[in-house]
This record gives sequence, structure tokens and C-alpha cells, in this order.
Amino acid sequence: MQIDHVVCAFCGCVCDDLTVTLEDGRVTGVKQACALGRAWLLGHSAEADQPPALIDGQPASLEEAVEVAAQILSQARYPLIYGLSSTYCEAQRQAVALADLLGATIDCCTSVCHGPSGIAMQVVGEPTCTLGEVKNRADLLIYWGSNPAESHPLHFARYAVTPKGLFIPRGRKDRTVVLVDVRPTASARAADIFLQIKPGRDFECLWALRALIRGLDLEESAVADTGLTLAQLQDLAGRMKSCRFGVLFVGQGLTQSRGKQMNTAAAFMLVRDLYAHTKFAVIPMRGHGNVTGIDNVLSWQTGYPFGVNFSRGYPRFNPGEFTAVDVLGRGEADAALIVASDPVATLPRVAARRLAQIPTVALDTHGSETTKVARVVITTAPAGISAEGTIYRMDNVPLRLRKFLPSPYPSDEEVLGRIVERVTQLRARN
Amino acid sequence: MTTLRLKTWPAVPLEAEAITPDRFVGKTSAEIEALPVHHGNQEAALGDFFAVSGDGTPDIAIEGDLARVKLIGAGMTQGQITVHGDAGMHLGAAMSGGRIGVHGNAGDWAGAEMRGGQIYIRGNAGHGLGGAYRGSPQGMNRGLIVVAGSAGNEVGSAMRRGVIVVGGNTGDFTGAFMIAGSILVFGNLGERAGAGMKRGSIITYQTPKLLPTFRYACTYRPVFLRLLLRELRSLGQEIAEEWFERRYRRYCGDLTAFGKGEILAWEGP
Repeated sequence: MQIDHVVCAFCGCVCDDLTVTLEDGRVTGVKQACALGRAWLLGHSAEADQPPALIDGQPASLEEAVEVAAQILSQARYPLIYGLSSTYCEAQRQAVALADLLGATIDCCTSVCHGPSGIAMQVVGEPTCTLGEVKNRADLLIYWGSNPAESHPLHFARYAVTPKGLFIPRGRKDRTVVLVDVRPTASARAADIFLQIKPGRDFECLWALRALIRGLDLEESAVADTGLTLAQLQDLAGRMKSCRFGVLFVGQGLTQSRGKQMNTAAAFMLVRDLYAHTKFAVIPMRGHGNVTGIDNVLSWQTGYPFGVNFSRGYPRFNPGEFTAVDVLGRGEADAALIVASDPVATLPRVAARRLAQIPTVALDTHGSETTKVARVVITTAPAGISAEGTIYRMDNVPLRLRKFLPSPYPSDEEVLGRIVERVTQLRARN
Repeated sequence: MTTLRLKTWPAVPLEAEAITPDRFVGKTSAEIEALPVHHGNQEAALGDFFAVSGDGTPDIAIEGDLARVKLIGAGMTQGQITVHGDAGMHLGAAMSGGRIGVHGNAGDWAGAEMRGGQIYIRGNAGHGLGGAYRGSPQGMNRGLIVVAGSAGNEVGSAMRRGVIVVGGNTGDFTGAFMIAGSILVFGNLGERAGAGMKRGSIITYQTPKLLPTFRYACTYRPVFLRLLLRELRSLGQEIAEEWFERRYRRYCGDLTAFGKGEILAWEGP
């Protein structure tokens, strides 16, 4: 059986034109997808290949697991809910409701990827646009600390570099592509200009560009430690000022290197400064799945995009105080619920170790480093394959994920809903 | 004097903004023990964690390792708090009067957005000392912070008025987006100091590594600095005689902002 117009939930591109072939309740063919999307979709089946739940490593029923999870979470004084990037918005909404009910800290993968962009947005604002505008209008594309050729493989071909657009009739020929990074990555091949800066000098480069765009004269010595020459910076500043519609894509090379939120603030300010000369926009290269969605859900429900604490009964936001790495690293969290994410594999070791020390509940579609240390593991249906809901593309455009394969497992939304229900009952009893 | 002795180590962060002279004045020790604190997501009483003795005068001494106790002296307007041990986050945040002394280290955001009063920290301070909270337009606005040890990143970020003195080193972005005020660093001034600053003074006694948007102006003896140093000396801060006598190189910036700020670098002996 062939299914058209499948939406891929793997990375922030959220390509919505995939074709999937099903044979005997198993995904056997994927067309139009990139290598990452194909690998993610292939092999999913409608059969149960794992127990519905594990408690202390022993197979258990869903009901038993929900009960133990609700007990753990409602007894905790400083519980943490983390992850939520690879699930859909309706499930994320249940997680926020649970955090509110528990007086928990809720944080998402944003805090270790583009959280600094969120902080910068609060200070500067975010002069942004959608990928549709990029395709139809952008004649200058700058990738800073981002490697889409490997992280978002279809980005260049579908949204940015090669497609022909309304005001870009000749496609690639009408665009100039610049890559700024600390080493020549696979994306350098797609770029007209590659600028290699010194590691950890992003802020100085952006600051020098701001000065040049404001018409200040700089000395060669002032930019000596950026890794670029003054002529290279002047050339880039000139291109930025003279383009018709420029877009700056910022990646984790910028948000997670020395300076973090100040780097992204500098990038956002640079784009703001360019408004005096031309039309310019900035788009953070959001990574996996629906990480943009959890920012949106948290923002519309609490006012803050990540690192939100409910322990006083109302939402508070303070990255560094209420972000997962910090509450785990300082040994503050006394229980954790991990949804659709693998923090044990991705967070710093001291934070990962804490997850093994405290009672952790993990919801995931498959085994991971986190499910290995979790006290309670609940298997859920993969979003976009066996569960349907809303997903946000990296430019904040919502799309609808479809369910095209039945699953023996419940969705994240259903499991979280049952935990919310059980915690509510436990609260009422006390 | 009212004395609090930590008797139960909080298993999760304890938010204790009740520990201010304003809340203690005129209360018996039993009434002080009944003041509310937040232990994680549960309400508790101050007496669950501290043994209280004293008479409710606006002079508080706290003993014990308080690294997990947040908001000590936050919002206080009068009196004195002395912490014998480490203090947790948000020490004296948004305070407008009185004096806090810490015989140990302080956590992040000590004196953040304070409006007056004095904070003395014998050990080190964390990030965001006297700074602004995320998304907030202004940091510290009046008051004095003196740290004998070192401080973390973003010391005095978006600071509006007041004086911060750091005896040791500071991290990156000291005085970033500062609007006015003075920051003195006697150790190493961290990178990217004064990024985006509009006005204000950052004073350093080492050769600073400057952003490309700062420009050398002149070498001179700033009169205000001699007055400021003399005032700090009278408050007990160690000030070398040659800091009065020698000249300072003035760099103005940040030229991407208003450009009325300055980094003053001591010329050396």
C-alpha cells in the first residue's frame, strides 16, 4: 500500500511530501525523504516488539506503570519534566498540564540547543520570516555555525538554496550563499563563500560586522583574533547591505559556543541594524522534530519558551536556575519524567548521572540510554507514524502529522493524559 | 540580634525570602519560626529548617551552609544580615536598603536588580552579580556590591546605577549592555567587557582585551575615580596608593550603542 503526502517528523525541516510504502504492516519503502528521514521511517511496524512497560527492568502492564509513575511524581518535591522534542503539540500540552499540577520544573531540548536564541529574542526581538519567503525572495543566504547538509539534508534543495521562487526566477543562480564556521563542513560545498573563523570568536565577528554596517572604521588589528581579515568582513558587510532580501540562519555553532545567548543577541541585533539598509531576516536552524512546537506550546501556556518552574504555583522562567542541566547537575531534582528524548545520552555527564540516581520515568518509542536507567519505562507510539497531531516546522509554521500505521502502543498524549488523571486523583485524596 | 542556625539541610531548593529584617522586626522567635518558606513545591515554616533565637531586632545572623537557600534578604529595605557560610541564589536581589555580609561564597544573581543598600561577599560570587534577569531592561539601580573573590559572567549586566567592586577576576561580558554606573575589577577583567554599553565606567588594573567597538580616547587622571577609590578605602577596601597616582587609559564605547561608556585601564606602576 502506498501513502502520499506523509509529513516527516524527524528534523526541523518537516518535509510534507513524502511517499511511504507499507507491506504487511511494515514500512518498506520511503520516497522523497533524505537519508535521515528514510532511516527513521523504514522498518517501523504495527507489531509489538517490546513490552508495553517496564518497572525496575521487569515487564509490566501500562496500568501498573502509570500507577507507579503517578506515585513517583506526586511524591516528589522538585520533579523535572524534560524532553518533549520528538512528540506532537497535543502531548506537549498534557506535559505542561502535568507540570502545573505537580508544581514541577518543565524544560525541553531547547535549553541545550537554541535556548540562547530564545533569551536573545526576549532582549532584542526576532526579525524573522518563514521558509516560504526564503524560497521566493532571498538572494543572500548566510549560514552561521550551522551545517544543514548533514543536519537538515533537504533544507538547501527544498527551502533555501536551489529552488526557483517568485522573485528568484533562476533559483541557485540568483542567490549568493555564505557559510561561516570554524571548519569547512559538508555544507561548504553548497556555498559561494566560506569564511573560517576562529573557534569561540563568533561574538567578535558579529560585533565587527555591526560596527562596519554602522559605518565605523575599524583597524585591521581590531579584528585580528576573529580569524578573518578586515577585507573579508568588509566584503560580507557590503553584501549584506546591498542584497535585496537577506537571511541569516544561525545554528548551534553560534548558540552553544562561548558567549551563547550574547552570540545570538549579536546576530539578532545585526539583522535589526540591517533594516536601515534592506530587508533581512534571521531563522534559527532548529534541530530535531517538534522542538519548535514545545517552545510554542510552553509560550502560549506559560509565557516562556523553556526552563519554566511551577513550584510556587505559577510559572517562572530563569535559564540557569530552572533548566534541566542545572537542576540535575546541582542535584536538586528528586524525580524526573522524560518524554520523547534521550538526555542520558545527550546531557553533560553530571546531569545524566543524576537521572540514574533519582526515580526516573521515561516515555519513548524505543529503548535508549535513558530507558536503561529509568525506573519506569512506558513504550509509546511514534508521532507522525502511529500517532497524529500538530508539529511546528523550524520557521514556526504548524503542520499536521498523520497516522498511517496502527500501533499496539498508546500515544504520548494518551499516556500523559492518564498520568495527569491519576495524579489528580492522588492529590484529591490527600 | 536574631540568630538562625540551619538544623535541617534542605533536600531540594529552599526559597526563603522571609529571611529579611523587614519580616523579622517586632516578632518573637516563635513567630519568626512560623514564617513561610517554600521547600520545592511544598510550603513549610522557617522553623522546620532553622533554629531561631533572638528578639526580632533588624540584625540577623545566619549560620550553616546555605548554598541551597535562595532569596536571602531579597527585597529587604533596612537592617543587616550576616551569613556565616555560603549563600544561595538571588541573595539580596531587588533589595533597596540595609546591608548583607557573606562570610563565604554567594550563588548566581546576587544583588540582581537591587535598588539600594550594600552587599559584601568575602568569597566568590556567581554569574549575573548585580545584573538584570532575562528579558529585563535594567539590572542594579543604586547600591554597592563588594566581592573579595572572583565573580562569574555578566557582572552588572544592563546595570543602571551603583557601584560593583570585584577584588578577583570577572567572567565574560562584565558590564554588558550597561546603562550607567561603575564596575571596578582588581583582578582580570573578563572578555567582551562592556559589550553594548551605553554609558558607565568599567575600571581595570590589567591590560584589557577590548572589543573592536571600543576606541582609545586619552590617558588622564579621572577625578571621580580618586573620590570613588577614597570612598572604597574608607569602607575598608584595600586600595593601593599607586592607583591614585598613576594615569588611566580611557577607551570609549560601545560604538554600536550610544558610545558614551568607558573602560579605564590603569597605566601601570
